[in-house]
Amino acid sequence: MAGSTIDHIVALTVFLAALLLFISLFNQTIQTAILYQQHRHLATVCSDLLDNMMLNSGYPLDWGKTNSTPTSFGLQDPEFTQYRLSPFSLMRLQSLTGKPFTYPRTGVTYSNMSIGFGNFLFVPYTKAINYSTAAQLLGITNTYGFNLTITPIVTVSVEETHAANPLTLVVNVAGPGFPLSNAEVSYCFVKVVSNGPQKNPSYTSLFNTTYTNDAGSAVLYIPNVAADNAYAFIAYAHMSGLVGIGYHERVTGSARTQYVLPLIDSFEDRRVLLVHSYNVHDFGPPESSVFFNATFVLLTEDFTLREMPMENSTGKLGKVVYGEGTEKTYQNLTIPTYNPGILIITYHSNNDDGVVLMPWGMSSMAFPVTFGSTASNPEWVVTDIRQVLVNGIAYQAKLLLWSLKGYGVIG
Amino acid sequence: MMRTIEILLVIIILTGAFIISSLFAVLPSPRQVSPLNLPRLALTTLQTLDGDYDLSATVFKANDDPAWAQLQIALSACLPPNMVYNLTVYEVQGGAQLYTVIKSFSNAENLGVSSESASYLVASSNVTFSVTPEKIGEHGSGGTLYILNCSDANGWWITGYTAQSLAQDLYNLLCPYFKNTIMVQNTTQLDQMLNNQSLQGETLQNAVVINTFGECVPIPKVYCKGYERENEGYDSSVTYPYTRYCYTLGQRTCQYNWTWVSIVGYPLYYASNTEAFVNVDNTYGIYGMQKVYQGGINAFLQGLDNQPYRYDDTEVAKPIPGGLVSLSSTVALDCNYYGIYPSPNQTSTRALSTSILSNNLTVALKVFDQVGNQIPGAVYNHIFRNNVNITGSFLALGLTRTPDIRLTALGLLSYYKPRLHPSDYTANGTSRLVVFQLGQAGGV
Repeated sequence: MAGSTIDHIVALTVFLAALLLFISLFNQTIQTAILYQQHRHLATVCSDLLDNMMLNSGYPLDWGKTNSTPTSFGLQDPEFTQYRLSPFSLMRLQSLTGKPFTYPRTGVTYSNMSIGFGNFLFVPYTKAINYSTAAQLLGITNTYGFNLTITPIVTVSVEETHAANPLTLVVNVAGPGFPLSNAEVSYCFVKVVSNGPQKNPSYTSLFNTTYTNDAGSAVLYIPNVAADNAYAFIAYAHMSGLVGIGYHERVTGSARTQYVLPLIDSFEDRRVLLVHSYNVHDFGPPESSVFFNATFVLLTEDFTLREMPMENSTGKLGKVVYGEGTEKTYQNLTIPTYNPGILIITYHSNNDDGVVLMPWGMSSMAFPVTFGSTASNPEWVVTDIRQVLVNGIAYQAKLLLWSLKGYGVIG
Repeated sequence: MMRTIEILLVIIILTGAFIISSLFAVLPSPRQVSPLNLPRLALTTLQTLDGDYDLSATVFKANDDPAWAQLQIALSACLPPNMVYNLTVYEVQGGAQLYTVIKSFSNAENLGVSSESASYLVASSNVTFSVTPEKIGEHGSGGTLYILNCSDANGWWITGYTAQSLAQDLYNLLCPYFKNTIMVQNTTQLDQMLNNQSLQGETLQNAVVINTFGECVPIPKVYCKGYERENEGYDSSVTYPYTRYCYTLGQRTCQYNWTWVSIVGYPLYYASNTEAFVNVDNTYGIYGMQKVYQGGINAFLQGLDNQPYRYDDTEVAKPIPGGLVSLSSTVALDCNYYGIYPSPNQTSTRALSTSILSNNLTVALKVFDQVGNQIPGAVYNHIFRNNVNITGSFLALGLTRTPDIRLTALGLLSYYKPRLHPSDYTANGTSRLVVFQLGQAGGV
């Protein structure tokens, strides 16, 4: 009797221990499989979501050219099919990386997409599409988080190797770690010509074409440029369907601190506010009025640059002041077209000259876009990429996606 | 002891089950867990390179052309560094071997453990692919399209357009589909047609006549009061005497088996001749026009059905409740075939009643879906009782102004169904297939 009882106790104990062990082992296998399926599902959602953004124009179709909030989110250029994105829809995305600032004269806060000094793009927060709106329109609020980066494939860097007589510039054209040899480079050179103190400057422009060598470089000699001349240089490189853009500016003396800052005011009316830099960055006295003279250049279909004349009524000539006196503190300028291009603003301040650029349409200066959210301890992040064209410029769109729900998996 | 042995047996069975299930539950390789969509990346890369037709130009160049090297550089430059690829270009040709390799290059010896590909068909810039439409009347009688473009008449309910501009647009749209397309330049030529006289040697029988004047119809002077054919165009005993002219039009439509087309609004509501009605307006300030009123369409249908003329101004066209009408499924499908895309939803304020079918009419094609007992747009065939032959047809689009003449063109094409013959994409030297294969370097 006692032996039978012991037998039962030992058997039951061993059985329960074995059962628990095997439940744990099977559970791990099942959980790993579920996790794998969830990750696969997330990858599929990522690919679908990226296609959804790239192959859909949103509604209204031309929302990028208006001030209104779209009722459906999409970045495709409504004038094209396939993976061609609207340069204006991209311009209306609130930048994740740039530090926003508030212009004190109007109280408007701007999304900052600028790339260093002289290459400015500021979009008012009220007219830019923020992450939560986009997520809501895409139907992924509280389910998925995303981060969309759209970066140019071709890098065109410009380096000044000799300051004057002749000005020597080296243009390097490359893909990700791979130089583009024998690429056609068309460029625009704008030199600021001072007309004396307290006067609007004028400018001279030069357009030409050259080719890169085997190392992907082109050396340009620009005549009649003195060391104290301010200038802007814009280059478009083109090879086998890949197009990239580079630019370089030189300003003199105090023109680096006292300059004109372009702020987009209305997409619909193509209106830009030109403000004094001291309204944003106060470098201290002396402070002076800044006189400007603006022009606009377009990239034509044969990949050459062309200047588009601006009427005086657009506000291309004027001055901006820092103070709040009787004079207007800022000026309005109307861009003459909805074709993407570059607004070039030459200016004169405190006996120094300078030039700043602003893209009209994200692709005109190959500005990158970073839009979305940053992942905070996500369980898994998936990535998918597409090659896209933005007004003919080659970009790579990369989407990072993560689940906000969690999977409740242990171990 | 027996129980312990049993439990040990159970443990052995469970262990066996776990081992067996573990053998089958093979987890995927890391790159399969979160894969890049390589086919999409491959396709978008090719599309990007062909954005300005550079790829199309390159793949038709000789094998030793430097453009191939540039293409290779561009591919290496635009792909992420961990990507390996193979690009192969095939000549597309007929015969037993459909694809022949023209050129192939890679940036690695092999494409790793797995790869995916996308294909892209490019056409030579030296070749124009065309679509040749079958001509209406090519394999039978008819095939003449008359477009009323009379310079001595005015239109109504075509606000914003002139009949002449609409006529030109219709000519451009429909000319390829007809054996003969003739612009009827004035009411004198219209009179010739009505008297069975060919204008340019064309076949009058079974022709299509498009009235581009909207709710108004041009009337030759001879049918007006005081001229030689007054008795066929004018009836002084009724309020709107030119109703009689519509009866004559109906008779001719039946006699010559025409397809009479009304592009918009209430058909045959006015008659116009700027010379004969020089001092008369349509009560809205348009001179050269006489009101025919609602009796016009009734008289036309009487003439079409060879009934004796009887003045009847009963209203047969009314607005659709709510106004909105939709293209019928047949016509919507034909939008893709003929490449004509008007808005699928339109506003109908002059939809004909089904009561007109009592004039021996049958609906041959609904351009818009019927709403209750109203037909917003359709092609009607007239067939005499106890007969099988069509003797006249009538296309009426009872829409509000302004007219979209693409609907008229689509209605006619959908009714006659001319076939389209596209040129052969597999003809030698016209197309090349680019297959782009991508793999990821490194790892498993």
